[in-house]
Amino acid sequence: MLLRDLYGMAAHSVASHPLRSLLTAGGIAVGIAAVTLLTTLGQGVQRYVLAEFTQFGTHLIAVNPGKTETVGMMGGILATVRPLTFADAEALARLPEVQAVVPGIYGNGRVSAGRRARSTYVNGVNHNMPEVWRFQVRAGRFLPPDDDAAARALAVLGSRLKTELFGAESALGRTIRVGERRFRVVGVMAPKGQVLGFDMDDAVYIPAAQALALFNREGLMEVDLLYRAGGDEARLVEAIKRTLTARHGREDFTIVTQNQMIDVLGRILGVLTFAVAALGGISLLVGAVGIVTIMSIAVGERVGEIGLLRALGATRGRVMALFLGEAVLLALGGALIGLAAGIGGARLIGALVPALPVRTPWGYALLALAVSMLIGLAAGVFPARRAARLDPVEALRAE
Amino acid sequence: MIALEGVGRTFTVGGSPVHALVDVALAVRAGDYLSIMGPSGSGKSTLLNVLGLLDRPNAGRYLLDGREVGTLNDTEQAAVRLHQFGFVFQFFHLVPRMTAAQNVGLPLTLAGVPAPQRQERVAQALAACGLADRAGHRPDQLSGGQRQRVAIARATIMNPQVILADEPTGNLDRASGEQVVGILEDLNRRGMTLIVVTHDPAVGERAQRRIHMDDGRISADHAR
Amino acid sequence: MTVLAQLRFALAALAGHRARSLLMVLAMAIGVAAVVVLTALGEGARRYVVGEFASLGTNLVIVLPGRSETTGGPPPLTGLAPRDLTIADAQALLASPAITDVAPVVVGAAPVAAGGREREVLALGSTRSLLPVRHMTVAEGRFLPGGDPERGPPVAVLGATLRRELFGNRRAVGEQIRIGDRRFRVVGVLTDTGRSVGLDLNDLVVIPVAQAQALLNAPSLFRILAQARGPAAIAQAQDDIRATIRARHEGEDDVTVITQDSVMNTFDAILGTLTLVVGGIAAISLVVAGILVMNVMLVAVSHRTAEIGLLKAIGARPGVVLRLFLAEAALLSVLGAAGGLALGYGGVALIGALVPDFPVAAPAWAVAAALLVATGTGLLFGVWPARRAARLDPVQALARR
Repeated sequence: MLLRDLYGMAAHSVASHPLRSLLTAGGIAVGIAAVTLLTTLGQGVQRYVLAEFTQFGTHLIAVNPGKTETVGMMGGILATVRPLTFADAEALARLPEVQAVVPGIYGNGRVSAGRRARSTYVNGVNHNMPEVWRFQVRAGRFLPPDDDAAARALAVLGSRLKTELFGAESALGRTIRVGERRFRVVGVMAPKGQVLGFDMDDAVYIPAAQALALFNREGLMEVDLLYRAGGDEARLVEAIKRTLTARHGREDFTIVTQNQMIDVLGRILGVLTFAVAALGGISLLVGAVGIVTIMSIAVGERVGEIGLLRALGATRGRVMALFLGEAVLLALGGALIGLAAGIGGARLIGALVPALPVRTPWGYALLALAVSMLIGLAAGVFPARRAARLDPVEALRAE
Repeated sequence: MIALEGVGRTFTVGGSPVHALVDVALAVRAGDYLSIMGPSGSGKSTLLNVLGLLDRPNAGRYLLDGREVGTLNDTEQAAVRLHQFGFVFQFFHLVPRMTAAQNVGLPLTLAGVPAPQRQERVAQALAACGLADRAGHRPDQLSGGQRQRVAIARATIMNPQVILADEPTGNLDRASGEQVVGILEDLNRRGMTLIVVTHDPAVGERAQRRIHMDDGRISADHAR
Repeated sequence: MTVLAQLRFALAALAGHRARSLLMVLAMAIGVAAVVVLTALGEGARRYVVGEFASLGTNLVIVLPGRSETTGGPPPLTGLAPRDLTIADAQALLASPAITDVAPVVVGAAPVAAGGREREVLALGSTRSLLPVRHMTVAEGRFLPGGDPERGPPVAVLGATLRRELFGNRRAVGEQIRIGDRRFRVVGVLTDTGRSVGLDLNDLVVIPVAQAQALLNAPSLFRILAQARGPAAIAQAQDDIRATIRARHEGEDDVTVITQDSVMNTFDAILGTLTLVVGGIAAISLVVAGILVMNVMLVAVSHRTAEIGLLKAIGARPGVVLRLFLAEAALLSVLGAAGGLALGYGGVALIGALVPDFPVAAPAWAVAAALLVATGTGLLFGVWPARRAARLDPVQALARR
């Protein structure tokens, strides 16, 4: 028997009960639509979060004081008896393949200019920050390449802070106070927007040494390294470890590469997406029970026909293939409807929430079709076997 | 061509054995016209099912053209049914959602004949049964006689050696029945072996060779 | 026809197609069980987190140095600000009648050594008040002594893990240890608390706050934990803290005040929403089951056309036929819902047995909603087939076979 004819026959009998077939396929369709929609949204969130991270580039390595086992996720926030110093940062800057280094210390403080004041984020960095973090300066320039340990009291404003303090006036050359200290404004950053909840525009950037003095603190919170594209990250991490261990006498720091962060985040979000998809899969399971039910009914209705096919020379395998084919067709049809609905729904959400990068996951779509085919097969096996095992004499008598 | 030797078939009904066929021996030559008659439960339908390889005997041998077919596996038996036998049933057994042409074409479909050749042969078979204008009708749009003629067209489409007819007129009025028997006899005249199970003496008496069955045994075997 | 008779009729019809009826019941049951189990997991997570927060202390108000005027962003977690938050600031908060106790906190990483073994752990500087405020208990010896928090003797209280790592089975209380380059005497060991959100209380050392400031060279406090007199006093405590600090900081509002309740409520709301969403996704399967019931009932109506014709011929009104088929759909749904409840509660009990620490429990609202949706969809999707049956013309119905 030609495969085309086999499916032609299966399709013919599926089409002969349009309402029943549509409702059966509808069960699968709801499940596939749910899975498609949920995975699309999950991937959208994943892509959004990863984009938030990769906007800083992927050739970044962060070094924090303290070991992760001790301080957990708190990284450099906590005080430590063995802090990271400017000398450490300089030593790291001399490593091969390192392009730029930013010593970092982050806190909050009151920034005032004339009568206006605002409590905001105070970020202690150095002149390399725009290059390492991929930030743009809108007006003036960024901090000059002073000696990290003895930098002058200059400041660069985030765009929002600049508007809050100076309105439409130019801020360049003006004096501001951060805490009790005076700084001269040399530049204003281009707007960056929120990054993972932090408003990057509501901040002032000052030299790290000035920030240490302002916060009355000894050690750096973090040293960020930018390495040359194509550099060997693993080797560089080893070099950092060796250098700092030699300087400190022990390994009392934590190295996290941007790629590790992105990896871990991607994996977590991937697992979440999968979990959500699995939840939607419960509907598919129920839809599969629906196919079993309807195919069982169909076998019961068509006992005579099965007997006839056997008398005409159809093998058991052929009868089984026919009914399996019908089950698969029902599942596939449902999957196609469900995919269309799911993709349409995702597009709609994408249109309503423009920030969410909703793209149709064609890989998932193909997977959904393959899975629905398997569902059809699995759900069809029980009824199809019953059909194939019917005794032809009995079956012919049933009419 | 057909040779049954010592064939027995026993069913178990409600825990006790029923002997549907007991030590049946039967030889049929190619081109024979054979009728099998007998009261209900005499085993005539079982004999037909065994002949058509729909049922397996518990004992004895079944030779078809000298080949032992009773012990073939399911797939091999299906192939024999497809190519060497044509079945005609009392209740027609047409697939209700298919047109007359599709019903007639079913064996060709099962045999893997491509659609264009199929159409040609179906049209010929329908025309031979006087149904050329009914090709697109579904069974529920046809009369009983027309349905049985569609079934005969289906039974002959593969050019089988043997036509097995189980009460072919049992569900028809006399005129339709005459027509159907006429077509079957016509096929026999052109060389097909025809075996008809019937309890209607008027139909059975027309055969050249008439077999009577009682309690699973052949009680009489007359030839004209 | 009485309701009971109708139900019996429907039951007989369902029993006539046992496999088919069981499959439909199974479909419904999967949906209901999924809703029960998943919402139970969500509710378990919520209870777990709420429980963890409660164990951190009650009616807590937390003061962080620094403030950000950006709305919606996270609080200034780094704890760095131009003006230090001092021990004197913390002590001044006690003046508020809404506040019963105050614990200043300094946290840092430091190596702790004893008898040749060394381990880098969290060093927590605080006062005697930390014990009641943070709901900690002492297993051996005693906690930090009272007295002037600005001074404080070189004594230390060890977490359970740290004690094991440094001393093994030997006695720890009374022994000398070194933290950084300073010497301390162990006066107590904390009770093993198991895993906990936030700080790991087992692998740390608690020392007087003034000692920690000197050790870590941290002039500013990292946090102040203040305990309000009761839930009703929390708002008052927050206001008093802001006023006190402003007065002490030359009129500048440079601290952030958050309450444990608000943090907990945020988690509570997030996990509650999560439970709702997860339950909702699971409930989609109930709709699928409903479609299945409708489908099979439609098939049943067409199979039983003659039976319906007969019922009408012997005088059954359309309403009765309608109710007969509706009763079948309802019966299927109710059986499915009951099966699903059994399955779901079985699953919940299993999870509870496998993970005893996790307070898994199906929330009543979710169970009620699942049952309602299951029977509701069953009935809703049963209406169309039932109406189809009720509207059949008896003559045609009997004629068709």
